[in-house]
Amino acid sequence: MDKRLPTLLLLSVFVVATCGLIYELIAGTLASYLLGDSVTQFSTIIGVYLFSMGIGSWLSKYFDKNILSWFIQIEILVGLVGGTSSTLLFLLFESIASFRILLYGLVSLTGILVGLEIPLLMRILENRYEFKDLVSRVFTFDYIGALLASLIFPLLLIPYLGIVKTSYLFGILNVLVALIVCANFRKEIRGAKYLQTASIVSIAGLLAGFIYAETITSFSESLSYNDTMIYSKSTPYQRIILTKRGKTLRLFLNGNLQFSSDDEYRYHEALVHPGLSALPEAKQILVMGGGDGLAVREILKYPQVKSVTLVDLDKGMTSLFQNNSMLIKLNQKALLSPKVKVINADAFSWVRSQKEKFDFIVVDFPDPSNYSVGKLYTNSFYKLIKEMLQPDGIIVVQSTSPYVAPNSFWSVNKTLESVGLHTVPYHNYVPSFGEWGYIMAMNKAYYKKPETFVPGLKFISKGSLDQMFYFPKDMSRRETEVNKLNNQVLVKYFEEEWSDVL
Amino acid sequence: MSHGGSDYSHIKGELRGPNSRAGHILRDKVHVPSPSSARRVKTLIVGGGISGLSAARWLKKHGHTDFELLDLEKRVGGNAGFRQNEVSAYPLGAHYIPIPNNEDAELLSFLEDHGIISHYVDALPFYNEFDLCFAPEERLLINGQWQDGLVPEFGIADEDRKQIKSFFELCESLKTEKGTDGKYAFDIPIAKSSKDNAYRKLDDISFKIYLQEKGFTSPYLLWYLDYCCKDDYGQKSNAVSAWAGLNYFAARRGRAANADSSTVLTWPEGNGRLMSHLASTVKNHIRTGEMAYSITEEAGGGFAVHAVDLKTQSSHTIHAEQLIMACPQYVNQKLLSGLQQRAVDYEKFSYAPWLVVNITLKAMPHTKGAGLCWDNVAYNTASVGYVNAGQQSLKTVEDKKVFTYYLPLCDHEPRVSRLAAYARTYEQWLDIILPEMEYMHPNITENIEHVELWVWGHGMICPTPGFISGSDRMNASKPLNGRIFFAHSDLSGISIFEEAFHQGIRAANEILSANSREN
Repeated sequence: MDKRLPTLLLLSVFVVATCGLIYELIAGTLASYLLGDSVTQFSTIIGVYLFSMGIGSWLSKYFDKNILSWFIQIEILVGLVGGTSSTLLFLLFESIASFRILLYGLVSLTGILVGLEIPLLMRILENRYEFKDLVSRVFTFDYIGALLASLIFPLLLIPYLGIVKTSYLFGILNVLVALIVCANFRKEIRGAKYLQTASIVSIAGLLAGFIYAETITSFSESLSYNDTMIYSKSTPYQRIILTKRGKTLRLFLNGNLQFSSDDEYRYHEALVHPGLSALPEAKQILVMGGGDGLAVREILKYPQVKSVTLVDLDKGMTSLFQNNSMLIKLNQKALLSPKVKVINADAFSWVRSQKEKFDFIVVDFPDPSNYSVGKLYTNSFYKLIKEMLQPDGIIVVQSTSPYVAPNSFWSVNKTLESVGLHTVPYHNYVPSFGEWGYIMAMNKAYYKKPETFVPGLKFISKGSLDQMFYFPKDMSRRETEVNKLNNQVLVKYFEEEWSDVL
Repeated sequence: MSHGGSDYSHIKGELRGPNSRAGHILRDKVHVPSPSSARRVKTLIVGGGISGLSAARWLKKHGHTDFELLDLEKRVGGNAGFRQNEVSAYPLGAHYIPIPNNEDAELLSFLEDHGIISHYVDALPFYNEFDLCFAPEERLLINGQWQDGLVPEFGIADEDRKQIKSFFELCESLKTEKGTDGKYAFDIPIAKSSKDNAYRKLDDISFKIYLQEKGFTSPYLLWYLDYCCKDDYGQKSNAVSAWAGLNYFAARRGRAANADSSTVLTWPEGNGRLMSHLASTVKNHIRTGEMAYSITEEAGGGFAVHAVDLKTQSSHTIHAEQLIMACPQYVNQKLLSGLQQRAVDYEKFSYAPWLVVNITLKAMPHTKGAGLCWDNVAYNTASVGYVNAGQQSLKTVEDKKVFTYYLPLCDHEPRVSRLAAYARTYEQWLDIILPEMEYMHPNITENIEHVELWVWGHGMICPTPGFISGSDRMNASKPLNGRIFFAHSDLSGISIFEEAFHQGIRAANEILSANSREN
């Protein structure tokens, strides 16, 4: 029994060292994904971690008795804290202000616990080896463990398991060490039974986390594995997922791409500027849908705009885009502007109850892929929107792709015309979506093309505007039916046309 | 209690129905206190269903305001009643009307009065888009899949398709046929249809025999036609006359400016919407919770109608010069027993019992194939399916739903089914309904929060062979003594809104001409 203890403990050193470095690498990777700027993140994480290990080592002097038992308990704790750390960081990502506190807090805690391990192990073994041998062996195993960790982390663990599962796996390994040591030396430890039970329960919990981790990242199956899912939330209305790949942020609602930060300006500039630039007097603006605030960002570029009312069903979505630091950087704090009023309500009933009139109305709903959203593309809905439009005002409607779904696109056009509006359809190329279509609708019988635009636009100009109005033969006008509540033809066109693609 | 292993303990709800206890006071001649007060009115309408309300509205429209309408229930409406919970309003009976025929000027005018028709385009009515049934309208669970539309299509053989096509072609041609009297062979209201023997003799045989004679053997077609008979008449094709069976299809020729002819008008509360519009025109004339239990003739020609106030359990007398009996004939049989007998064989009036179930769900289970529609039916099941009460909702997102499930109790003769229905408990009904819901939607039971049952002992008149062409119906419609007039859908033999609506107008017109003769 005596001979087994040292060997087992040295092996523990190896595992413990591997785990310790793995937690450090996980924290660094997560931080650089979530906060960007990997050099700074890795640097600070390594610094904080090592510093915490120092604190742990210093604290080791206060452990006098039952060191083996304490070692086991610390192993269990490290397993639990380290194992659940990445899940905690994912879940609490939304509010970045306290995110850093949480991140460094977890790193510190893990560091302190890990820092306690080696000193305690050395003291357990102090009487079994000569000091020079002890030091040599312990640190050899420590550094070999670290090498192993640094190799398998980028080559095996992240590609095949992902961050969350890796955390749980190494948490389990830590607790296994505790369990094995405890089992083998139960006669020498006080409260061995309690420690064994605690280990088993912890392993069970971490195993559950390992398996359950799938559901958190399940949506990433529909994304390339290079896109790391950095945020997910289920609101009462939809599942919101944010991914990051390099600098590019992508937002998915129920698995459908809403925007990619590298090319969303092409969509939002095209949505807003052709209409708004033609309305130099526009003061009251209405945006329906567009809870990401990106259309509002474009609208706020016009100094004469006095108020922007945003109506989006999902409070979970609008509050994300009001609070998350990465996202408010993207939408330039659009939803926090004093000119902007955010209303979380169902579009159809809200519109029915409104008496106010607007100069410019942006209708940016999800595509008409089901009968519920389809109601928002009917002549009944457009009739109500028309009543909210000032005589000289303009409405613009996001109308899906005229290239993939020409019948759908031209059906929206026909439906707008059927309520007495003059329509001006146009399109542009948005790399993440392909050819995308928009339709301006107005009471006036003509649309005067604007010649000048607000500064700072990356896509819209006089030349690009001209290109947008021209429809080549493969996207030109089709004969379609008017979309009504009692026929919902648009949803049928949409399903037909997109099923060939998806 | 056999539950088949299912647990219904999480489901709340109750068993309700029309106030049959009150009705049975009349039937069983239970002792009622003597009248303690009296009032006087020129015209008294007994019965606040669609016929009574329509008569009341017509009288008022034509300047006759000295009338009252009594109904024994707490609210008027008859088969067009409705209730409401925190999720939705829902119908207790009738839930839609098809687009009316374009010659039905009175009905179109009523719809226009209340904004259901917003204007006319080239003489065709333009219907309010929010009242036209929202797409998707109907689906059928057949051969393991939910298909669009109710006419069987998925997984059927070509021979079946041919027969179905040929049946509909037959109905198309019958739509425009007219008799030698220049009237349509089939029409709504039935009073406008041709009395030519060529068509009337179709009433002598059952629809089932008619179909056999015509060589229609496809089980899918026959199921569909049974379904249609159950839907409008509460009985299968063997108990319904061929004339009535064909009328279901051939009498409907309505065209709209902004919808297909096959579209319907519907609301969360079903025909309760139309009933509310009718009632709103005559609000101050309606007295609910009052049940007439005896009618005697007075010297001088008027009537003393003794009524019991069901709230206070006291009774009073209403002195009226004229009556419109807008209640079913089995009630008239009792109420008029003290007066001159009518040459009417009341036994010929057969009423189909129904169960209407309103189910509140916390979530809709996913289905393969067509998604949730307004009308959802499964092939070869006892019920005629369920209707989504929230179909006309404008909300983009809805979790909870109310389904109205309709079960005609037609496995046995009406009298037998009716007695069995009155004897069944709430749990026994759940044992009948929930397995069928599970068949349509596996695992739906765990999502059900509330089930409200309505038993209609006498749900609707049934056009049994020989009834529509028979004399009993005609004789029962004739005024009595020039002072008692009759209006009810059972006098048409077909229990639909349009028939009851026109019955009321007919009786009101009879009153108006009687009054103008006096002056």
